Amino acid sequence: MKRRQAIKQLAITTGGILTLPAWARAWSAQTLPAVENPLLDRNILNAVIGAIIPESPELPGAVSLGVPGFVERILADCYTKEVSDNVKTGLRFADSVARRKHQKSFLDISQQEQQAILVQFEKGDDYAVKDFYRVVKQLTIQGYNNSEFVQTKFLEYEMAPGFYHGCVPVNQ
Amino acid sequence: MSSLKKRKYDVIVIGSGISGGWAAKEFCEKGLKTLVLERGRDVKHVTDYPTAMKNPWDFPHGGQVPLAIKEQNPVISKHYLYTEASKHWAVPDAVHPFVEEKPFTWVRGYHVGGRSLMWARQTQRWSEFDFEGPARDGFSVDWPIRYADIAPWYSHVERFAGISGNKDGIPQLPDGEFLPAFEMSCLEQHFQKSIASRYTDRQLIQGRCAHVTDPQPVHQEQGRAQCQNRNLCVRGCPLGGYFSSNASTLPWAAKTGNMTLRPDSIVHSIIYDEKKGQAKGVRVVDAYTNEMVEYYAKVVFVNAGAFNTNLILLNSTSSRFPNGIGNDSGLLGKYIIWHNYRGRISAKYDQLLDMRTKGKNPNHSYIPRFRNVHRQETDFLRGYAVGFGGGRGFDADTSGIGEALKNNLLHPPLDEWNVSGWMMGEVIPRENNHVRLHESLKDPNGMPQLVISTEWSENEDKMVADFMEQLTEMLTGAGFKDVQARDSHANPGNDIHEMGGARMGNDPKTSVLNKWNQLHACKNVFVTDGACMTSGSTQNPSLTYMAITARAANYAVEELKKRNL
Repeated sequence: MKRRQAIKQLAITTGGILTLPAWARAWSAQTLPAVENPLLDRNILNAVIGAIIPESPELPGAVSLGVPGFVERILADCYTKEVSDNVKTGLRFADSVARRKHQKSFLDISQQEQQAILVQFEKGDDYAVKDFYRVVKQLTIQGYNNSEFVQTKFLEYEMAPGFYHGCVPVNQ
Repeated sequence: MSSLKKRKYDVIVIGSGISGGWAAKEFCEKGLKTLVLERGRDVKHVTDYPTAMKNPWDFPHGGQVPLAIKEQNPVISKHYLYTEASKHWAVPDAVHPFVEEKPFTWVRGYHVGGRSLMWARQTQRWSEFDFEGPARDGFSVDWPIRYADIAPWYSHVERFAGISGNKDGIPQLPDGEFLPAFEMSCLEQHFQKSIASRYTDRQLIQGRCAHVTDPQPVHQEQGRAQCQNRNLCVRGCPLGGYFSSNASTLPWAAKTGNMTLRPDSIVHSIIYDEKKGQAKGVRVVDAYTNEMVEYYAKVVFVNAGAFNTNLILLNSTSSRFPNGIGNDSGLLGKYIIWHNYRGRISAKYDQLLDMRTKGKNPNHSYIPRFRNVHRQETDFLRGYAVGFGGGRGFDADTSGIGEALKNNLLHPPLDEWNVSGWMMGEVIPRENNHVRLHESLKDPNGMPQLVISTEWSENEDKMVADFMEQLTEMLTGAGFKDVQARDSHANPGNDIHEMGGARMGNDPKTSVLNKWNQLHACKNVFVTDGACMTSGSTQNPSLTYMAITARAANYAVEELKKRNL
C-alpha cells in the first residue's frame, strides 16, 4: 500500500506516465466516437469529477467548489502533453464504454453507473486507462482539499494561528 | 548622469542581503553617507510581497509552477524554493548564466533584501571549537579571530534581529541573547529525554531562530510585530515576524537619512587608485541599459553574496592587481566550501497517539555537533549538526469513490507521528574547489561568467555514512519505527550556504583578508559576506555573517576617525 502510494507520488511529481498508452495505439478512430462538440470533453470531465466527489444536500461536491477548472488548468499548464492527451483519450473512452454498456452517453447515465465504470477502470489492468483515472482522481482530491470550504471548515486552516502548542490532547 | 558630487559617499556597500543590510545599518547609524548597491530590483517591506496574504486556494496551480516556466529554468526550478508562492524571488536561469564545470546548484536572490527573504532563519552561534578547528585539525589556515573576538558582536546583532531560543549551556553551541523559544512537540520532548538517557555527548535542543516571539522596544521601533506562526516566511513577512534586511536593517538605515539605496545596479569592479594605493570607488553597470557609472567612497564593503563577491574582486583588475584586487596570493576564488546536507532520515512513531500539536511551528529542533568536538575520534574530519522536526498530519483514506470518499476527505483521522532529520555537515576547504572567471563567456550585462568547479570528497561521503548510522541508532533506540536513512546525493550548493574564496587569515601569502575583513593588500576594501569564511563549521552561517559585518563596520568607522583609511 505504502509502496503503491510512493509510486503514485513519484509518477505525479515526475509528470505522470512516461510511455505512450498501449490502448491508445490499439484503438482506431472509428472505435471512438468523433468529438463534434468541443465542450464534450469538458462536460465528461465535469461528470467524472462529479462522480468522484458528488454533491449532496448538506455538503458541496467537487463541481460546485470549482474543482473542474483547477483540474483543467493543471492538466493544461503543469503536466506534459502525454498526460493531458491521455486524459482526453480517457474521457472519450469513458463515454464510449457508457455507450456500449448503457447505449447512452456518459453524461446521461446515473452517477452510480458512472462510478461503476470508473471503479472498473481503477481495478482493471490497462495501464493507460488506470493512469487516466488516477490522474483525474488525484487532481480532484487535491483541488477539493485545497478549496476554501474544505480548508476552513474541515481541515483547520488558519493563515495566522498566532500560536504553536507542541503537546495537546487529541480530544481537546 | 548625476554630477560627481552626487556620486561621492563615505562608504559604498555592495549588496543588500543579510550582511549588506547590516553594514548599511552600522554605517548610517554612525552618521556616514552610505550608498547601498543592489543588482536586482527594489523590494519594499510589506507592499512588495505579492504572495504573502494568499490562501492555498488563491494559487491557480495549487502551488505548482507551470511546466513551460520550469522548462525555461531547468537549473533553478529543481530547487525546493521554486514554488508558485515563491518563484518570484528566484533568479531565472537566463538572467545570470554561469558555467557549471562540475554540478553546482547556485540559488540566488537578486532583489533588495537578497536571500534574507528566502533563508531558513536558523541562527546558531559558532563556538571556540569552530574557530580553532582548522588549526587543530590541520586544514585550511588558522582563523585570525577567536570566539572572544566575535561574541560581543553576536550579542549586538541578536538583540536587534530578535533571536528566539533557550539557554542550553552547551559548550559547542554558545548561548545568546534570546527571546522566548518556541515549544517543542511531545515527540521532540520524548526524543530529547531518550537521547539524554542514552548518550553523554549529544543533546536535542530547540533550534535558535530569527523570529520575534516577544517584541522588545528595539523591534517595535523597527515596526516589527510578534511572529504569528503563519509559516509563510518565504513569501516575505508583512509583520516583520522574522528578521530580513527589508523589515529590519534597511529601513533602520534609511531612517537616518544617510542611506542611498540604488537597485538595478550591478557592480562591475572596484576602482583601484594606483597613486594612493587604495580603492576609490566602484564601476556600476545599469541592469537594464548596461550604461556604466562610477561611484566613489573612502571605504568599500563587498557583500554581494559569496560567489558574486569573488566575481567582483576577480574582475577588479589594475596594473597593481592584474589577477583581481587583493589577489597577491593567487588564492582568490579558491577553497570554496558549503554545507553537506546530503544525509536525510525519516521515521514514524506510533505511541503518544492521544496527543497532537496545534497551530503552526516555524522552527524545528536541533542536535549540535557531537562528532570530533573535543578530540579526533572518527575516520573523517569534523562533524555535523542535525535538524529535526515533524508532527502528526491528517491521513485520509483516498481509496474509495463518491460519498464514501468525500466523507473520508472531510473527516480525516490524524496520522501517526512522522518525523524527519537532516544533517548539516562541515565541508573541508580544498584548493581545487574553486570559482574563476570564464575567459570568453559573458552574461547579458557584459560581465564575465563565473565558472563554478566544486565536488564532494571522501570526507563528506564518510560523514554521510556516519550520520545515517548514528541517527538510525538514535531513533531506533528511542522507539521510532520505519527508520529510513538515505543519501540524497544533492549537488553542492543545494544547501544555499556557499562560502569562501576570499578567506580570512593572518598571513597575506595564504589568505586574502585580515582579521578585520580587510583585503591584506588594499585596506579600504572589506569583505564580510560568506566569501570571507576560512572554514565552514556546521551552523547556518547568516548569524555569523551579521556579527562579522557589524564588527568590521565598527572597526572601519574607528579607522576612518583616526584617518587610517
